[in-house]
Amino acid sequence: MKRTRFSESDYACQYRAVDSMIHRLPAGCKMLLSTVLSVVILVVREPVPLLLATALCFLYYFLARLTLGDLWRDIRFFMIQFCVLLSLFLYQYGYPAGVWPGVRTSLQIMLFFIPGIVFLRTTQVSSMMKGLRRILPYRIMFLLFTSLRFVPFFAREIQEIAMAQRLRGARLSAWDIYRPIFWGDLFSCIIIPMIVRALKTADEASLSAQSRGMGAYPDRTYYDIRELEGLIARSRGEESSDRGGENSPEMDRESDLNR
Amino acid sequence: MAQATGSGAGQRGLSGGPERLPQRMHHYCHKEVIKGMKNEVAFLWNRFTMREALLLGFCATFIVLTKATLRMKLGISGHSMFFLLFFLLLARGIVPKTGAATLVALLAGGISIALGLAHKGPVIMLNFLLPALVLDFAGIFLPQMTSRHLLCLLIGGIAAASKGVSSAVVELIAGAPMKIVIQAAAIEGAGGVIFGMLGALPVPSIIRKLRTNRLIPSPGDK
Repeated sequence: MKRTRFSESDYACQYRAVDSMIHRLPAGCKMLLSTVLSVVILVVREPVPLLLATALCFLYYFLARLTLGDLWRDIRFFMIQFCVLLSLFLYQYGYPAGVWPGVRTSLQIMLFFIPGIVFLRTTQVSSMMKGLRRILPYRIMFLLFTSLRFVPFFAREIQEIAMAQRLRGARLSAWDIYRPIFWGDLFSCIIIPMIVRALKTADEASLSAQSRGMGAYPDRTYYDIRELEGLIARSRGEESSDRGGENSPEMDRESDLNR
Repeated sequence: MAQATGSGAGQRGLSGGPERLPQRMHHYCHKEVIKGMKNEVAFLWNRFTMREALLLGFCATFIVLTKATLRMKLGISGHSMFFLLFFLLLARGIVPKTGAATLVALLAGGISIALGLAHKGPVIMLNFLLPALVLDFAGIFLPQMTSRHLLCLLIGGIAAASKGVSSAVVELIAGAPMKIVIQAAAIEGAGGVIFGMLGALPVPSIIRKLRTNRLIPSPGDK
């Protein structure tokens, strides 16, 4: 599908797979940049600095090659808050006096979230997790990953349970869900079987993980590809130094080129 | 703690016997399951066994799933509190230990951020954490709260009111006057309280049902 400046993602804060300089930044840098920008936005109070901060914020957003459609998806949640706050300010201070403080505060709140939104839109889950691995203990990471892994599993389970219950005559159609009279069916036919399924799955998964020695040591032992590559490189280096001047074909080629 | 965890499977074997494993899988509701659960070794924070931690993780998954399903469908402020409070209270009832709700909130926040479901960005953590902290704090003094309707409603309402607090924090930092911050938090919190109480309403009956079927340990089980 052709991507225009108005094309939008399926939902707010969805990761956008495009190539931009913001996308290429490491996750830690982006997080730091987002924090700094958010702080700057909250600190400014005067119209001109706020205008500059707004420009900076939108520049950051559009540098990530996000579209106007994406922006609307992301900020439309704040429109309700904007209206509520503005009406409260107008009620409190009257018509002309309440407009600027109302607009300023609402704008600041909206802009405060934009750097975080850019972070979510430009960072893949894998790089987020890589960054988190250095901060969070591995047991929490294990839980987080396992829960993430089970999101599609339980989504599928819910669908299957709902279909089975519908076949048995439960009133669970899309229309019935909006009628509070049928919410009892929703609980007894979907939520309780789902909880029982979760209890069983947790039991099986924990048994499986424990039988594999998960949690046997305080630190996790895992296959680190970088460390392994470093070890191979070091062993190769030692090998070549043991040979004493005998260069590898790659090194010979490199020295020829240098000459 | 962690050093001993490796023998977790072994300990199960000792309590139930290795030959009981198939029986354990098929007769899930058997009393031995509950006895076996007592012998499991702590996996997280010297408090939760791996089974409990995974269960709490699944509760977090359900929060995220329901949040994703109900995105902007209702268009009423605070409707997300319904399933958030329901699953937080349920988690506290299934794993009656301090910190259970907080762990669910942390995981739900993490998953929401990872899946890009956090429309307020990383600040969504506050939305999940504040009600969970209220529940855990209340659970210290009222351990039976998840099996009593009135207590559950009350605590659910108080926890849901914290929805206003998280938005108030940002508004306060942005420099809005205190009066307006309080009014905005009250508007935001009111919807949250109604939906939070509605979400808390079915929890005691579900917990009782699960206890009756011996799927979760009842307070009297030693």
